[in-house]
Amino acid sequence: MKKFLFACALVSALLAAGFTGAQQNSKTPQPSAKSQAATSTSSTESDEGEKRFELQCGRCHVPPESLSPREARAVVRQMRVRANLTAEDERLILKYLAP
Amino acid sequence: MQIGRTPQVVSFLRPATRNQRSGHKSSRQILRRIALATLLFLTAAVAASAQSNTPIISGGIQYENATVGGATSFAPAISPVVTIPIGDRWLIESRATFEELIFREDGTTGPYHAVTFSSIDYLQLDYLINSHVTLVVGDFLTPFNIYNERIAPIWIHNFNDAPLIAGIGTRTTSSSEGAQLRGVAVDHKNWQLNYSAYFSTLVNAHQFGSGRTAGGRVGVFVPRHRLEVGFSYQRFLQDLHLNSIGTYVVWQPQSTPLEVRAEYAHSRGGQGYWLEGAYRLSQFRGPDSWIGRLQPIARVQQFYIGTPSPGDANPTVDTQRVDFGLNYYLPHNIRANASYGRQFSSLGNFNVWELQLSYRFLFPLLPGGSK
Repeated sequence: MKKFLFACALVSALLAAGFTGAQQNSKTPQPSAKSQAATSTSSTESDEGEKRFELQCGRCHVPPESLSPREARAVVRQMRVRANLTAEDERLILKYLAP
Repeated sequence: MQIGRTPQVVSFLRPATRNQRSGHKSSRQILRRIALATLLFLTAAVAASAQSNTPIISGGIQYENATVGGATSFAPAISPVVTIPIGDRWLIESRATFEELIFREDGTTGPYHAVTFSSIDYLQLDYLINSHVTLVVGDFLTPFNIYNERIAPIWIHNFNDAPLIAGIGTRTTSSSEGAQLRGVAVDHKNWQLNYSAYFSTLVNAHQFGSGRTAGGRVGVFVPRHRLEVGFSYQRFLQDLHLNSIGTYVVWQPQSTPLEVRAEYAHSRGGQGYWLEGAYRLSQFRGPDSWIGRLQPIARVQQFYIGTPSPGDANPTVDTQRVDFGLNYYLPHNIRANASYGRQFSSLGNFNVWELQLSYRFLFPLLPGGSK
């Protein structure tokens, strides 16, 4: 019974933490229209990079929440070997992870 | 350190890992020299890498509470991955795993004992020859099917226990010492052909053991259907000359957040399969909603014993197992996982309850700005 109550408490805590995280994410400010227009040139490649990320990397794992550009370079280089990416995949995925 | 469990139970808890390698006292000095040389090499590599790239340390930390056949154990683990890019074409990468297994002496009674496992899973140097070919040398994960290379890391796998067939095609230590060519042979708009081919030599050094083997894997990926199908082969070239073959499927349909993975493997020691499905409930209020972070998971697997050989890491009798569980993806790369499984064999049926909390981390190895 104690184990069951402990499990219930743990699941409740995890759900609460997830709900809090979801609320925090919903409060994240959206980029302005001006900044979106300024980056429109690279957005196509970034979109293609996102698509390739979902196709190639998403077969094994969910994307990391945040990566700095210098971290992303090392990660994508490693994934090029591990996930058998082409040089083009590497370039576009890097555009997506570190625009 | 006393071990209060039968070898079968301990073996079941950590099947087919490199922790079971046998070390040789005579090789300790050689190992120290190798470790020292490796350390010096990595230090020099980090310094060289810092000029153009940032080396990183990533990986996962996991805490697991498992109850197997009524016997409860606790297992904190950390598995760091060091990645050092050098220039535009070179990469050094290595993963180690450190795990503590805490359990009661008689399974359910008696004092607690702890055993520490540590292993260097791989330490390899990669050279990107061109867009289609990468040369890998050193100690690398044996590319047989997909579990060992892609799914085994603690921040990726859905179920902590390796599949029953994990020992097929990965002998002797799930890693190989030698050279490998890998990449994408054909990159067509509608399909990709990926491959890996390797040769491994016999090494008995502690933490760097491997068998003399040769083999490879070929996979075809169809982006339109998000479907990959592949085939693996390994020839064990020492003592017993054994063939292992395997095939795998990965499917993620476009319209629904479903993941289906499956492997089949066959060798003289036995054959079997596992089939795993995971469905992220992100279609309900998005992936970041409280319900969208849930992912029910299930796995079914069977193993049929063949003609066992010395060194096999397979179950010793016909075995079936089914697992059900739930992933919950928390913010900040934290994942909670709970699962229930039941294993059936002539040695006895038992339940497996598991509760895990894992954290996926990533940091630069050197200080610097975000750019």
